[in-house]
Amino acid sequence: MSDDSQAVSVTINGHLYSGTCEPRLTLADFIRHECGLTGTHLGCEHGVCGACTIIVDGRSTRACLMLAVQADGSEITTVEGLANGAELNPLQEAFWNNHGLQCGFCTPGMLMCATEFLEGNPEPTADEVRECISGNLCRCTGYASIVASVLSAAEELRR
Amino acid sequence: MTIVEPPVTTQTRYTGTPVRRTEDPRLLAGRGEYVDDVTVPKMIEAAVLRSPEAHARILSIDTSAARALPGVFDVITGADLAAVAGQQPVIWFPIPDQRIAKTHALATDRVRWVGQAVAAVVAVDRYVAEDALELIDVEYEPLPVVADLDAALAPDAPKLYDDWPDNVSGSLTYTFGEPDEAFAAADVVVKESFNHGRAFGCPLEPRGAIVDWDAFSDTIDVWLSTQAPNLARDLLSEVLGVPVHKIRVRTPNLGGGFGNKFDFYGEEVIAAVLSRRTGRPVKLIEDRRDSFFATSHSRDQRLDFEMALTNDGTIVGLRGISYGVLGGALGTVGSGPPWASVLTCMGPYKIPNLDVTVKAVMTNRSPYGSYRGWGVPKGNIVHERLIEIAARELGMDRAEIRRKNFPAPEEFPHFSGVAFTYDSGRYADCLDLAMSKIEELGWRERQAQARAEGRSVGIGYSFHVEPSAYGPSRILNLVGLAHSGFDEVTLRMDSIGKVTVYSGQINMGQGTHTIYAQLAADSLGVPMDDIVVVTGDTDSCPYTGYGTGGSRAAPLGGAAIIRAGERLRAKLLRIGAQLLEASPDDMEIVDGVLSVRGAPGRSVTTREIGDAAYRRLLDRLPEGEMPTLEEVDVFDPPNMATSYGCTALLAEVDRETGMVSLIDCLQAHDCGTVINPMLVDGQLAGGLAQALGGALLEELIYDDEGQLRTASFMDYLLPTAMEIPPFHFYHQETPAPDIPGGIKGVGEAGTIAGVSLVGSAIDDALSDLGVTVTRFPVTPPRLLDLIRAAQISASQAKEGSA
Repeated sequence: MSDDSQAVSVTINGHLYSGTCEPRLTLADFIRHECGLTGTHLGCEHGVCGACTIIVDGRSTRACLMLAVQADGSEITTVEGLANGAELNPLQEAFWNNHGLQCGFCTPGMLMCATEFLEGNPEPTADEVRECISGNLCRCTGYASIVASVLSAAEELRR
Repeated sequence: MTIVEPPVTTQTRYTGTPVRRTEDPRLLAGRGEYVDDVTVPKMIEAAVLRSPEAHARILSIDTSAARALPGVFDVITGADLAAVAGQQPVIWFPIPDQRIAKTHALATDRVRWVGQAVAAVVAVDRYVAEDALELIDVEYEPLPVVADLDAALAPDAPKLYDDWPDNVSGSLTYTFGEPDEAFAAADVVVKESFNHGRAFGCPLEPRGAIVDWDAFSDTIDVWLSTQAPNLARDLLSEVLGVPVHKIRVRTPNLGGGFGNKFDFYGEEVIAAVLSRRTGRPVKLIEDRRDSFFATSHSRDQRLDFEMALTNDGTIVGLRGISYGVLGGALGTVGSGPPWASVLTCMGPYKIPNLDVTVKAVMTNRSPYGSYRGWGVPKGNIVHERLIEIAARELGMDRAEIRRKNFPAPEEFPHFSGVAFTYDSGRYADCLDLAMSKIEELGWRERQAQARAEGRSVGIGYSFHVEPSAYGPSRILNLVGLAHSGFDEVTLRMDSIGKVTVYSGQINMGQGTHTIYAQLAADSLGVPMDDIVVVTGDTDSCPYTGYGTGGSRAAPLGGAAIIRAGERLRAKLLRIGAQLLEASPDDMEIVDGVLSVRGAPGRSVTTREIGDAAYRRLLDRLPEGEMPTLEEVDVFDPPNMATSYGCTALLAEVDRETGMVSLIDCLQAHDCGTVINPMLVDGQLAGGLAQALGGALLEELIYDDEGQLRTASFMDYLLPTAMEIPPFHFYHQETPAPDIPGGIKGVGEAGTIAGVSLVGSAIDDALSDLGVTVTRFPVTPPRLLDLIRAAQISASQAKEGSA
């Protein structure tokens, strides 16, 4: 570790993680390597694919475009924070029911993006869902099943 | 999309139902394990230095500064690697006497494409490894660059390989019937030159490997993002000289494969050599930028073809040449994909006279390899674009001319004229199904209304064939594959009556574990919840020929499960009969309960069968019956299975900008027995999305210096949810006659159908201008050029007649 290492403390999914890291360490690598939360995936590391989307202080964020030191003191939710024990939440369940994932690599980013979206828009249209996920690339599904998943989750959450 | 029924927890038949995937919960919870998520004790991390030159001699490499950087364990160059490793293998040799251009995983004296690996560093972590790459000093002497096909074929072209006469790796012509006579006698001949730009599968998870080479026991432990673990093990053995039984390949979750992860890459060899030298497990993950240079490119082809017809629309001949624009060395599959274009260029049509050639040409581009569809999408461009051009010429309806040239159902098996014999099909029914759905969805009204508003809306069609279930091993060997095509499975019921399926196939997102559990449950008569599927470890899983590619996991793995299941079920019934003092012939098994038919009170469960076969055999396991409950099956198909479909697209063209908007898309499809309609629809949709991206957006563009200009997601545009239309899928089921279970493959349907489809829709939207799309991707500037050229010639014609 070089001399310019800095202390970082973040709360992820309700647990406090403290450590030191070089200023250049990305938040994504901090979460994956230092915290062991490998559910946040890296598909491009230049902010386009959206696979590394997490929620930082209530806002969806690309973990590859943020440094760990910038997140010091933040509250973060990653995909590992969605399920309750071994029980999937309604959004995850909707992806399962609607074949909203194939390889699963983009899925954490899609889930985090949709989580934030549904909080602000509980009754979305299909077009709104498409726009919501337009910054997240999926190479497997052709998107229609993801749109169906998010719409179905919205319906379930309104119940 | 298929409507999802509420999950069914107990049922007696799973095949044909939209069962939710067994793979999903852990992936949804962030508990998947992809190769970059794997950490091995003592592991260190590598990075690769890549050539900035497209064609150059390497004069010197100075690694001293990189070696001196704290945290660096080792730095290797081509010479270091070649001392312990052979050249990268090629497994496909479809062209006799082809010149085979091979290289080592690290360039030794010359580079032939931008991004070719030149040196590698391993360090405490990837950050330090990349720091060290910047300290390596390579001196290059640039050589003349062969940037594209025309440059490669020019009479005075610089040569990539000094001892070759030119840049042509090889050429092969197939003739069938009397093509010259057919063309001479034809009423109409239509011809075009088609281009498909470079593209790649681009799985969202980049490739990666962890290799732990223990030089003391001479064993190699590998975690690899591969679609073909058995092939990778065999090829590692070949390249590294370590016996196969001392190599173990494990495949974690794959974040997509699309053929790109079928191929065997230099990075697995680089990581192995670094591991051997350092005595540490080495992780080497490509980052996204690496992937644009180092993961197999594909699609890059020019196809100059002509079709001969009689005035009534009967096709009498097809001839032409498919140029494969290969890279600076051959990839694992050599010139396989451009060759497959020639094999499939007649598509679903009966064409009695053929003269078709593949020519494989080397250029200073990245090596060519596998991508979902594997040449067939370009074959589809040939037959689907030409038949539509012919329809226009003859004034015929586009559906009618297709229908006229299909083989009838009773004409199967149908020999295509080149290599493939299609097993079965009801092509006209499938076409009619698609046409009826276009009516039902009201596309024609939507098109008419849009046109009345002055908007350019068109309907495109594509009829495709997908040769799947690759394939009969001896035939594959005969046509030039140095590998097999069978699939092996082990089905084991344990001491408490639960079942494990072991397969050599891997799971890259298509749901193999779910469909294998469905098939095993049905063939054994047990609940699906009682079944676990294990794949992705060469130490425990059986051998598969080829790998997971060629749309073979469902038909071949499925057939092996069905066959093994039948035998295991018979053994369960024999043991059950012993326990119930009945005749095996009177026994049945439903939902894991074995009973005497007609006497439901007399029953035992698989738990008691397991106990009788493994633990308490006395008086319970029949004399002469082998203890344990295990069946192995190897299925080597007598023929392939040919899926097919008719796809239609509603699209709008903006004549001012050249932008194409995709409004709606449907596909009528036949993949024989449907195991899980929800997953089949997922395969069709995903494949179509890739094709639509390839048709409109995605291109690996090289400039005249051989520099790749689109090596990021800012420039290589993958389709998003905003570009991809909704999909509607309709199935007809014509069982595959040569595959137990009747299953045909489905993984490549969308990629095959979707490119020519876009051309067809654009042509229709601009039918008043007479535009013909021949070059893909048809980006807005290219389409604008076509529109303007057509407008100019239209106004000139008007002036001429005025």
